Amino acid sequence: MKRAIIVFILAALVLATVGIWMFLGSSELTSVDLVSFGVIFLVIGFAVFIGYKRLNSARRGEPPEDELSKKVMQKTAGLSYYISLYLWLAIMYFSDKLKYETHTLIAAGILGMAVIFTICWLVFNFRGIRNE
Amino acid sequence: MNNRIKEFRARFNLTQEDLAKKVNVRRETIVFLEKNKYNPSLRLAHDIASVFDARIEEIFLFE
Repeated sequence: MKRAIIVFILAALVLATVGIWMFLGSSELTSVDLVSFGVIFLVIGFAVFIGYKRLNSARRGEPPEDELSKKVMQKTAGLSYYISLYLWLAIMYFSDKLKYETHTLIAAGILGMAVIFTICWLVFNFRGIRNE
Repeated sequence: MNNRIKEFRARFNLTQEDLAKKVNVRRETIVFLEKNKYNPSLRLAHDIASVFDARIEEIFLFE
């Protein structure tokens, strides 16, 4: 229950920060900004989904985490780390060819890692873990 | 590995939620087990077998 509430609080904080960034930042939003917002909202949606699932489990009197969810998290962390290495390699390769600033590339890398983690989690959560 | 959890659950008139509570896992885990999308740990297999008062190999069938 506590961890689910922490997830909701973190999601709300990120949303508030994005809101401040949107309204107090530059008057015109560039395509990079819009893509960043889209990815951030996607990641927040994922976090809220996880929090909702944990809250539901707690309400039903079930443990918020069990051996399957822990295994899914372990596999997700391992695979997403492995794929993220290639993402950073790609970013390093393209950094000379693209004219984006360093902080933009780093932000893209971090958001990319979050997206990769989300996709890996969805794959393992819906496909399952069998014969391992 | 296949299993007969659904069959045993029907025999004991238990819902997925009831079984999940008895073996202290989430209902989703029981769903995944019944769909053969997850192979349980030895501990969980033992707990499930205990609920149905059966041996592990009666419920989990190794091919």
